[in-house]
Amino acid sequence: MPRGSENPFPDDDAATRGGWGRDHLRVIRDSAHFVSANLGTSLLVWLLVGIALALPAGLYLLERNLQDLSAAWDGRPGLSIYMDLGIDVAEVETLKTRLAAQAHVASVLVTLPDAALREFQAYSGLGDTLDMLSGNPLPASLRVILDSDAGASDLEALAALAGASPGVHEVVEEKTWLARVKDISTIVRRLSMVLAVLFGVGAVLVTASSVRLAIEARLEELRVQKLVGATDAQIRRPFLYFGAIYGAGGALVALMLISTTLLFIEGPLTSLFSSYGSELQLIGFDPAFLVVLLVLGGVLGVLGAVLSASQRIVALEIH
Amino acid sequence: MGYIELHGVTKRYSNGFEALRDLNVEFGAGSMTFLTGHSGAGKSTFLRMLLRLEDVTRGQLLVNGVNVTQLSKRQLPFYRRHIGAVFQDHHLLAGRSVFDNVATPLRVIGMPEKDIARRVRAALQRVGLLAKEKLLPLYLSTGEQQRVGIARAVVNRPRILLADEPTGNLDPDLSRDIMALFEQFNQVGTTVIVASHDRELIEASGRRIIELAAGRIVSDTPAMSVDMAVCDAPISTEEQWRAQGI
Ligand SMILES: Nc1ncnc2c1ncn2[C@@H]1O[C@H](COP(=O)(O)OP(=O)(O)O)[C@@H](O)[C@H]1O
Ligand SMILES: [Mg+2]
Repeated sequence: MPRGSENPFPDDDAATRGGWGRDHLRVIRDSAHFVSANLGTSLLVWLLVGIALALPAGLYLLERNLQDLSAAWDGRPGLSIYMDLGIDVAEVETLKTRLAAQAHVASVLVTLPDAALREFQAYSGLGDTLDMLSGNPLPASLRVILDSDAGASDLEALAALAGASPGVHEVVEEKTWLARVKDISTIVRRLSMVLAVLFGVGAVLVTASSVRLAIEARLEELRVQKLVGATDAQIRRPFLYFGAIYGAGGALVALMLISTTLLFIEGPLTSLFSSYGSELQLIGFDPAFLVVLLVLGGVLGVLGAVLSASQRIVALEIH
Repeated sequence: MGYIELHGVTKRYSNGFEALRDLNVEFGAGSMTFLTGHSGAGKSTFLRMLLRLEDVTRGQLLVNGVNVTQLSKRQLPFYRRHIGAVFQDHHLLAGRSVFDNVATPLRVIGMPEKDIARRVRAALQRVGLLAKEKLLPLYLSTGEQQRVGIARAVVNRPRILLADEPTGNLDPDLSRDIMALFEQFNQVGTTVIVASHDRELIEASGRRIIELAAGRIVSDTPAMSVDMAVCDAPISTEEQWRAQGI
């Protein structure tokens, strides 16, 4: 026999073919047993991981819906400007020209008092009654429509400019709440990214420390396994499954938390939306979201397990 | 050529203490040897080094012609799978049944459960504990616990069987029973090394005795008869273990 560095006992065990798959099966059974035998601890870990995942995942859903809402809103942000009664048409035209020259202004529509009255007569069905009025009670008005790049601050600036112009009686910003949705959704998106990182790290640390506890509880068993020839990968394996179970279980808890929250806020949210003439239609809480969250939870859990299993198991001493 | 050969082997612990010094010794295939000496002489260090639980500081340790000091971290588990080890404090898992304890080495190599059941029961039968397979180690006597440890050490048909003070806290009758088990397992061709400071017991056996003192070999007494030396007997094979029922 050559005096090399190979195993002095070449592996000749035909009996152990297919052992890798069997080892995984055994470990899964083992882990399930361990998790259910330590149900109190497991529930606690699931709850902790679940809360850590629920917040960024919930914010993500909120952000998607806000974005959807601002995209679905067909009216662009705009202003209605009502002039003083009896003002000169030329003055209205001057204001129109000035406003049209501003940045982000897509168009400016002028409605003169006569046109406004005709429109109102047709619209209200009060044609004859209004004929009895001695003069036209309606002012001239301008409608300014901004382009889609315009933000809430552009609208404010324009409103201020119009308000300070001569002959202007009142300026009404239209749908300012919806115009802000875009800004809000940007804030929510950035916030949820920061929280996702922070709470993701939190989830990893929670699983890491609970896997650490599981390792400490089974140290004697790991020593025996090492003694009889288990590889480091084999010894680590059950703990990676722990991590996956803790992480995916946590994701399940997160899903339950989110759906409970949605049920809880559905009532007030529906009435809020309908007051703005928009129908509540939540998106994003779909099968793909569930799967992604479960997988993400599992991956974070395994990451935590790798973190705590690696150093501890390599350093395992047999006395 | 010996089955296990040490050439100038020195073991120095990290605190600088030399527990084994320049050892040169051989063990024939299928031989049975006692390692003796006072407490602190280096017997445990010697066995732990063979299992590669301790690194060799200097020298060569050959097993079946391969220098095992050079085995990589990845290869080590596969080397250990062919060595059965019995300790004084037997390292049994308190929370697992006798059956599960003995099954551990077979589960590690990924053997199917139905083969495991057969092999574990054969090993338990050999050590006379078949009736207690469902019990936790807690409910066994010290001697029985030690025999569970032995069953676990032989269940995977090891080429080498190492035992560190296996009769340490047993009374003389029980000690003799345990020794009889090692002789039995030696008969299948397994190379057996037993560390013990029980002079009376090991001298009665008529086997080769190596005495250590302060990490050196101070005497090497050959076996009393040729058939007890069994040097160069065939190393254990599947068939020979099977003849033992394992
Ligand atoms: N991990 C260690 N670090 C330092 N010294 C050790 C270590 N293990 C054992 N020793 C020392 O090595 C010597 C031999 O120990 P050991 O092999 O256990 O002897 P024996 O088994 O013959 O009683 C003792 O003096 C012991 O104190
Ligand atoms: Mg000792």
